[in-house]
Amino acid sequence: MTASTEFDRKLYVVIHPLDDEPEGKVETENLGPMRMTTTVRVCLYALRAYLLLMFGMLGFRVLQLAGVIRGEGG
Amino acid sequence: MVFGPGLIVMEADNDAGAVSTYVQAGAQYGTHLLWLLLLLLPITYFVQEMVVRLGIATGQGHAAMIYRRFGKWWGRFSLADLLLVNFLTLVTEFAAIALALDKLGVAPRFGVPLSAVCLTALVLTGSYRRWERIVVFLCLLDLAWFAIAFRVHPGMGGLGRAMLVPSVPAGGLNANWLFLVIAIVGTTIAPWQLFFQQSCVADKRLRFADLTSARLDTLVGAVFTILVAGCMMLAGNAAFERHWDFADPARMAVQLGAVFGPVLKNGLLLLMINAAVLGTTTISLASAWAYGEVRGWPHSLQKPVREAPGFYAVYALCVMAAAGLVLIPGAPLQLIILSVQVLAGLMLPSAIIFLQLLLNDKEVLGERFANKRWNNLVNWSIVILLFVLSLLLAAQVALPRLFPNS
Repeated sequence: MTASTEFDRKLYVVIHPLDDEPEGKVETENLGPMRMTTTVRVCLYALRAYLLLMFGMLGFRVLQLAGVIRGEGG
Repeated sequence: MVFGPGLIVMEADNDAGAVSTYVQAGAQYGTHLLWLLLLLLPITYFVQEMVVRLGIATGQGHAAMIYRRFGKWWGRFSLADLLLVNFLTLVTEFAAIALALDKLGVAPRFGVPLSAVCLTALVLTGSYRRWERIVVFLCLLDLAWFAIAFRVHPGMGGLGRAMLVPSVPAGGLNANWLFLVIAIVGTTIAPWQLFFQQSCVADKRLRFADLTSARLDTLVGAVFTILVAGCMMLAGNAAFERHWDFADPARMAVQLGAVFGPVLKNGLLLLMINAAVLGTTTISLASAWAYGEVRGWPHSLQKPVREAPGFYAVYALCVMAAAGLVLIPGAPLQLIILSVQVLAGLMLPSAIIFLQLLLNDKEVLGERFANKRWNNLVNWSIVILLFVLSLLLAAQVALPRLFPNS
């Protein structure tokens, strides 16, 4: 193989990700939980409030359908 | 070679539920909601692009990252919610397959189990590449929607205006219109997509150097999906122009067949089945990958069944159980569809909040992969919009009297 074809082969060969050597990724195993910054804390509180509201609304609707609470379902 | 996950996740989002929603939008409002699709194009791209970055940087799935960084409680909540919504969505996919097969003259009691077996066999070959090639081929079959749109809506004049300028439909804006808009947003950006694409990127072992190509893959997928969704609306528009009442896409296919011929009818029904098949394989994989990640099981399409039995068992269980449920006479399908809407409303904001927080986690991602200031501006706006819309949709389903139809 001449020097130029060797150079071309190195330059243009495309390796499928599954055939390539596994690459070292960002380490996540030993990091532990995320640091509770103000943004993270506010977001998680907002999410909890949202979920409580939604489950409360669903529970209300189920009770209404069951006839426990007066409404269109009961 | 990098192409695949982006196109698949986007096009599989045009699943049976999406076909029904887009066609219904066209059948009830003509081309009046085309502008919404154009608006959703950047939103869907920006959300999925974050997942690509996270997947390439960590080589981990979304469920695994939530579990590691937010603890067991949030990890289990996200996983349980994902598995439940995904399973209920799978039931709707098989319901659509049964409906379309019935209109094609194939008995669902034979066709549905056969499709479940084929869908399971699709992943059992122990080759990610084989699965990806077949699924990309199925995605490209959706090009047929362009032919259908052209056939039923030959006049392309006015479409550009309908896409670019929001317009008010003839009956004015009412609760039905609002909730159809929300349903379109909800069907275009679904929680399983976040989990699927990140796991898919990790399974394909995309490298740091593949980031640009993976972004392009996602962008091409987003554009293709939105164009196909527009074609679905145009197919529905044919019913709108003829003042037909819309019941479901299969019945509309039969009505259109009477006008445009049996080829169009059969084409529409086969595309409905294709949409459900794409949705089923990707949603089941999203569940199997997520469950495998959290349990620490081997979870890769590259592994043969004997090396990842739990992963394949979850996939097969999801597919078989959903198909079986559809075949039970008198199964509460309407209740299941409503539950999907409510639970997806619950799931989307939480999944997207975790995604946004993870993308700002510089401890993990560093400066290279973490969100920039403009990313955050765009993405927080999307998060707030999705929060409000999900809340409205779920509230409408849970408390319908809050929203009188004007």
